[in-house]
Amino acid sequence: MINLKFKLNGEKVSVKTEAGVRLIDLLRNNFGLTGTKEGCGVGECGACTVLMNKKAVNSCLVLAGQLAGASIETIESLAEGEMLHPLQRNFLEHGAVQCGYCTPGMILSAYALLDENPSPDEEEIKEAIAGNLCRCTGYKQIMDSIKATADELNSKNK
Amino acid sequence: MNNIEITIPKTLQEALELISGGNEGIGIIAGGTDVVAGMRQGSNRFGGINQLVDVNHIKEMKGITGAGGIVTIGAAETFSGIISNKIIRKELPLLAKACGTIGSVQIRNRATIAGNFVNNAPCADTVPVLLAYDSTIEIKSLAGKRELPLAEFLKAPYRTQLNSDEIVTSIKVPLPKGDFKGDFYKLGRRRAVAISRITLALLIEIKESRINRLRIASGAVTPIGTRFNGIEKEFEGKTADEKTLKAIASRLGERVIEVTGLRWSSEYKLPVVQQICYQMLYSAVYGGGK
Amino acid sequence: MKKNFSVVGRPVIREDGFEKVTGSAKFADDLKIEGMLYTAMLRIPETHAKINSIDFSAIEGSQYLTAICTRNDIAGIKKIGVIKNDQPVFCGDKVVTPGDVIAMLAGESEEELHKLIGKIKVDYTPLPVLTDPLKALDENALLINEEAGTNLIVHHPLRKGDVEKGFAQSDFVIERKYTTQLIEHAYIEPESVTAIPMGVSRGIKIIGSIQNPFTTRRIVAAVLNMPLSKVRIEQSHLGGSFGGKDDTMCMLSARAAVAALKTGRPVKIRYTREDSILESYKRHPYIMNYKAGFSKNGKINAMKIDIIADGGAYVSMSPFVTWRTVVQATGPYLIENVHTDVRAVHTNNPYTGAMRGFGSPQPIFAQESLMDEIASMLNLSPVEIRRINGLKAGDKTATGQTLQNHDVNLLTVLETAVEKSDFTNKWKDNRENKKILFEPDFSNPVLKDNDFIRPEDSIKRGIGLSVSLRGCSLGGEGIDAAAAYLSLQSDGTIYLNCGLAENGQGLKTTFSIIAAEVLGTTAENIYYLELNTGITPDSGPTVASRSTLMGGGAVKNAAEIIKQRLIPLIKSEWKLGDEEEIEFAGNKVSASGKELTTFPGLCRLAYSRGICLAAIGWYKSPDVHWNEENGQGDAYFTYVYGCQVAEVRVNIVTGEIYVDRVTAVHDAGKIINKLGAEGQVYGGVTQGVGYGVFEEVTHENGLIRELNFDTYTIPTSKDIGEIIPVFVEGDDANGAWGAKSLGEPTLELASAAIANAVYNAVGTRLYNLPLNLEEVMLGKKLRPVNNKRGSLA
Repeated sequence: MINLKFKLNGEKVSVKTEAGVRLIDLLRNNFGLTGTKEGCGVGECGACTVLMNKKAVNSCLVLAGQLAGASIETIESLAEGEMLHPLQRNFLEHGAVQCGYCTPGMILSAYALLDENPSPDEEEIKEAIAGNLCRCTGYKQIMDSIKATADELNSKNK
Repeated sequence: MNNIEITIPKTLQEALELISGGNEGIGIIAGGTDVVAGMRQGSNRFGGINQLVDVNHIKEMKGITGAGGIVTIGAAETFSGIISNKIIRKELPLLAKACGTIGSVQIRNRATIAGNFVNNAPCADTVPVLLAYDSTIEIKSLAGKRELPLAEFLKAPYRTQLNSDEIVTSIKVPLPKGDFKGDFYKLGRRRAVAISRITLALLIEIKESRINRLRIASGAVTPIGTRFNGIEKEFEGKTADEKTLKAIASRLGERVIEVTGLRWSSEYKLPVVQQICYQMLYSAVYGGGK
Repeated sequence: MKKNFSVVGRPVIREDGFEKVTGSAKFADDLKIEGMLYTAMLRIPETHAKINSIDFSAIEGSQYLTAICTRNDIAGIKKIGVIKNDQPVFCGDKVVTPGDVIAMLAGESEEELHKLIGKIKVDYTPLPVLTDPLKALDENALLINEEAGTNLIVHHPLRKGDVEKGFAQSDFVIERKYTTQLIEHAYIEPESVTAIPMGVSRGIKIIGSIQNPFTTRRIVAAVLNMPLSKVRIEQSHLGGSFGGKDDTMCMLSARAAVAALKTGRPVKIRYTREDSILESYKRHPYIMNYKAGFSKNGKINAMKIDIIADGGAYVSMSPFVTWRTVVQATGPYLIENVHTDVRAVHTNNPYTGAMRGFGSPQPIFAQESLMDEIASMLNLSPVEIRRINGLKAGDKTATGQTLQNHDVNLLTVLETAVEKSDFTNKWKDNRENKKILFEPDFSNPVLKDNDFIRPEDSIKRGIGLSVSLRGCSLGGEGIDAAAAYLSLQSDGTIYLNCGLAENGQGLKTTFSIIAAEVLGTTAENIYYLELNTGITPDSGPTVASRSTLMGGGAVKNAAEIIKQRLIPLIKSEWKLGDEEEIEFAGNKVSASGKELTTFPGLCRLAYSRGICLAAIGWYKSPDVHWNEENGQGDAYFTYVYGCQVAEVRVNIVTGEIYVDRVTAVHDAGKIINKLGAEGQVYGGVTQGVGYGVFEEVTHENGLIRELNFDTYTIPTSKDIGEIIPVFVEGDDANGAWGAKSLGEPTLELASAAIANAVYNAVGTRLYNLPLNLEEVMLGKKLRPVNNKRGSLA
């Protein structure tokens, strides 16, 4: 067992855990953050995507023992109460959600993209979410939502 | 897997001490995209491991620096780090391209360059490129350091020259001197997050309509990433016309048969790798193409 | 037909959207209950084996083990199935396919349970394996299910006219063979279910990723030997299903329930992706022989079809899947003489069952490829051949059913798609600029001078189309009715529920829109209740693209029942004459254009007057008729029509196909939920492209090679170009304002359209799905000789 300290959704947290526990299990089991989903366990589907030091990573491939000092953000950190993040709102307005299982990871990949590249073109959007498999939507409405969010945020920042 | 021990050394010295005992149960972890997935799937490559040494926080193993015509890439540098590096994008474009084809953004944010080749999987996408760029790797242990060409390091499928008390610390890539043109090619079953079916790296320098220098390396069509020195020597000095380019590609086909033998997939891969080789040469020499 | 809609057809935010984008939606594996146990399955790495003995002695008494569950723990039926009870909950003396489970361990730590599994000694004798469905009916074939006495699961014959006479009258007769592959549903959420024992008098509660709660209830009750009423099934948010969380979830629910009763504790089963792909059923591979006789003018006179479907080790849905095939195998064409035989057979392969499309994607690939080939022989365009033969109103289908009582929009969707995609011009241009595929000769593997192709010559464009008709809902499969519960509250908000399940497709939203439209309120005003078999009326399974049609009909009925109670109240309260028309719209109630009150105001009034504001709506399909002997009858009570045009680029050097654009034109009847309908098209087409181009589960001697998403590849965001949905809203007396089916039609057409586009590009006709690299270059599949992962060789 190790005593692990890291930053989770903006707050400093500490937890006693085995070092080999995967980040996804730590989030779901120790912190009750079940918005992070498991789809494959081998880093292929992206359902478990979280932000680690602002970058999108598969939380099924990060071990607790590797976390010390890291900053982790999950889907639960995006909305402020009932106030959705523009990405979340645009996902709803554009019909980008069907079963919703890939949605948290998808939104976080999009979030990381816009953080790094506020005006992505279509190819860049596709590349950013290529590691997030969705079986329901065919991706179109997801890409529309991301584009709309970029436009919205850019027009606000002008 | 849960009760595995993970140590995060801050210095290389610390890391080397940890692995110096020849303990079979100790493994190195960086991005974890191979190790964690492999352990979960019960791969026998990680069978006896009960301790992992995380090398992500060792300064000497991170970063990209250029000096004296050589770019040194820390072994634990991520693909995302490599792709976004200006020197690499400008001077080693094949490497940037190869790294960009690996996995997804999430994978590239974690997976490291040394992690791509230390297990010597045949489909490692950076290998043909690093071979074409004449890369050498630096290996350290408590006993000291050694440097060797990547081509020598890679022995056989899933086997390398690395001893259990050693760590790959960096990759040194000499900047190609001269007017090289070339490309990296990857064929998978889909356009993203694909396991390579065929990879090829090609660099060619034309002087006065002749092939001055040629470098060809493959992955996934040969048991391990392979540089084709024989073909390069044979065709250096030859007129760079279509006939020669086709002859190079055909010769590659012959060599792949010699190295790989005929396998279940050869019926598809053999003709395709020759076509791809020809097309890459053609585009490099005549421009345009794709 | 109502003309002015205020909610229907407009973009409405998903009912469950907020929870899903914030991560607060609870999926099955998100459930955690104090004292809950986890499980691990005991399997053996064999396709077919006799189990001699199982020795648990090495793990008995382990601190990590709470219970070992075997078939001896089952009080009721020991074998289950959605149609036939032939799949053991826990195997006894035999395994017949690699997913089979012999026993299940329950305990507090999943990780420790998996270690214990490795210590159990199973003594078994491998048996010969039957993997070739074409050999399943041989006289000396080994029997997968010995009790059945045959490997034949089902045989559906269809006889119309005189096929031999039809061939004799034809100028040309051609025969072609087509094959399709085994594929995986690949819902992103793997299976998970929790069973909670509620005590002797209360039975058991089951919460999980369950597509068909009522089917699951029936099966769990039979396994536990409990009355239906004591088994309550609750559906979690479901992370995709596509037909795939039916049998498997019945099985897992039964196992969890057995363990929960045995231990007296809640038991959760959660599958890894590997468990899921190994054990869950898949889409049937088909081997299809088509023979067609036709005249010089393009008229098809006769078609003889022989189809073998690989059902794998269990019956599952094979009888119904292949029934849809026999009905639709000739496609949407008027053919006087048809002779079809569809058989599903047992093998030791992974078993196959329901998957989106349900017996249609396979014959559509065959029949639509065949139509193009016939057109090509006669120098007709793909559009002309379909105009000549396509079904029109009043025509008789292959089953002898006269198409009536709805707009038979086959040619309308065809013409719309042709126009929207500029099909004819592109098709001609591509054909004129056709390039020939580079065809390697493996006896001379080293290429010669003129084999080489320049980069600029290696990409070729093609365009192709396919059309279909699809019977809506269950048809002759069985009872077809659905119920909805609607309850108005005194403040004007509404509870809504239906016995059909939200699997991600968006039916909560669609149903809310329907109720809101009838009552003149907004969809946001509706609170959709969770599906729980304890309070929701049984509405049959959520399959066959029947939700909008059947459930929508029930919701509309419920809303109208209540409306009919409110109208007399309004008339007496405001002293209106009989002739005055009451309108419910915009959250207001008005008479002859004059506002009387708000919708909440009306609810308050009705409540204060003691009017019942809750109703169960019911929708039962019109009767259908089916003669099993000759495959004749009214198979479905109505049909939908679709046409998809695929535009592709083929790399003639590597065999890569990239789908640049799919124009998808569908007559699904009235479109209720605009965003949802478009989403169905985008998603269905993308699944269709994956099926057409690269998805495939392969196996060696029955053992699956692709057990996770690293090797089982489904389309990513980069694998398809543009998709253009177009809706032709045909009129239909059925359903809510004529709203019919869309989910499956969107998925069934792409593979044939792509194959036809490849032909247009390179002049090579491909007969075997998927159209992967090797298929395009070599016209066949290549298989690795061992089961190792990775790409070497």
